[in-house]
Amino acid sequence: MNISAIFTQTGRNVKQTWGAQLMTLLTVSLSVLIFSFFFLVFLNLQKAGVQLGEHIRLIIYFENDIPPVMHPQLEKQIRSFGAVEKVVFVTKKDAFDHLTKQLGAENNNVLLDMNQDFLPPSIEVYPAKNLETLSRIKLFSDFLSTLPGAQKVKYGHEWIERLAQFTQLIRIIVFLSGGLLVLTATFMVSSTVRLTVITRQAELEILRLLGASKSYIQLPLVLEGILQGVFGTGFGLVCLYVFYTWIKTKFSGPAFLSIFSFTFMPHFILASILLLSIMLCTLGSIVSIRKFLRI
Amino acid sequence: MNTSSIEPPIVEFIKVNKVYPPDIIALVDISFLLKRGEMLFLTGMSGAGKTSLLKLICSIEHPTRGVVEVNGYDLSKVSSANLQKLRQRIGIAYQDFKLLPKHTVFQNIAMPMEVTYTSKKIIKDRISFLLDALNLSQKIDFRADKLSRGEQQRVAIARAAANYPPLLLADEPTGNLDPKHTELVINLFEQLNQAGTSLIIATHDESIYKDSSHKVIDLDHGKMQFWGPIDQKPETYEGEYP
Repeated sequence: MNISAIFTQTGRNVKQTWGAQLMTLLTVSLSVLIFSFFFLVFLNLQKAGVQLGEHIRLIIYFENDIPPVMHPQLEKQIRSFGAVEKVVFVTKKDAFDHLTKQLGAENNNVLLDMNQDFLPPSIEVYPAKNLETLSRIKLFSDFLSTLPGAQKVKYGHEWIERLAQFTQLIRIIVFLSGGLLVLTATFMVSSTVRLTVITRQAELEILRLLGASKSYIQLPLVLEGILQGVFGTGFGLVCLYVFYTWIKTKFSGPAFLSIFSFTFMPHFILASILLLSIMLCTLGSIVSIRKFLRI
Repeated sequence: MNTSSIEPPIVEFIKVNKVYPPDIIALVDISFLLKRGEMLFLTGMSGAGKTSLLKLICSIEHPTRGVVEVNGYDLSKVSSANLQKLRQRIGIAYQDFKLLPKHTVFQNIAMPMEVTYTSKKIIKDRISFLLDALNLSQKIDFRADKLSRGEQQRVAIARAAANYPPLLLADEPTGNLDPKHTELVINLFEQLNQAGTSLIIATHDESIYKDSSHKVIDLDHGKMQFWGPIDQKPETYEGEYP
């Protein structure tokens, strides 16, 4: 096995079919760009959802204080719905104290003539900080309203729900664009390698007669697929990074994006995309070799 | 110990028949052997079976009946991996040249050496020597399709000889050459033969073998009419060959 001979052969292949090679490279790049763009959006939305969810709580108001003996039973019922981080029981007095504290020393004199039990008791439920839970927050709210004695359930930031739905939509787009990537990487590379095989049919026939081994004939074609994967994906990801930097620069400041920390994909995800794409391109190459190469 | 006595012949045909579908008879009961270091001329008119015989040796075609052995291996029983190795050791100059038209002379001749991963330095030196021997040095960077038929033929011969093959097959190697270049080709063949290469040269050009001491096989409609040194060849055939 001679690595430089394999690279030389691959270089000749690329030179002979450079037009098709370039088209394939750009198609792979574009597919990677589309897929990784939506994946990046999805990751950031998910992160934004979690950031918003950190302050999310559901409050169930009751008419009367809940006797402490019922606390374990109610908590068990609440936790039966799904992942809950903590459940806090608030008595009428707790609520009054909390309000007094919120108003501060300067303003709390407005409460001087009030009864300490005028605020309703409640249970504060803190759901787990993940998007799955947040996306089900409306259902959770409906469930909590069925608790015995519950008067009303409130939760802030209802739009979290919409964010979760939007994220769900992006997730579908990520899957679809992932499918697009699979199709383009595999089929485009496959057809390019097929073109190489057809273009070099006479040469491959002579190589066979000269006693070239299977690896001598096949490895340059496999390498062609690998290189398409490396350069196509690399170019796609570089374009995504340039686009990301542009967006970050353009929309920095007290605008929408400054609310959240907009981040690029972690290294392991970049490496995974690169690896996956290379594998798909190699697969496309092998499919073509198996189908069209007669040695 | 004399090792040559126990070494198998480089080529051996035993009762070989070749029939192309539907019923075109190319070779009939051919039996002969070529010892290592021998040079053999295959003669006969067009259609006598010369090319078919060469194709059987390099396993491009397979015999309908009989056994073809190369280097002691029965070709019908050789695995594809071993066949590749065997082909690397056989240089073939095809009648239709089989050059790559868009490749340069250098690239065409380098192919068999690249297949065996020969170093670039050795490839360069060998090609330089062969092109000198065949008066083609000026054409080293020319594309094959820009050469005359005679030049293409010499490139095909250079490619066949490139890898120092133990066995070289040449099909009508002087068919497109003038006497001067024919002489260069024959000189190269003689040189290779003296270095130990066994050669089988299919030709109907009597001038290239009539004064030699090498053996000749004369074919006529697929049948072997004569096998032996040229000076023992009778004017007309009656019955068995020696």
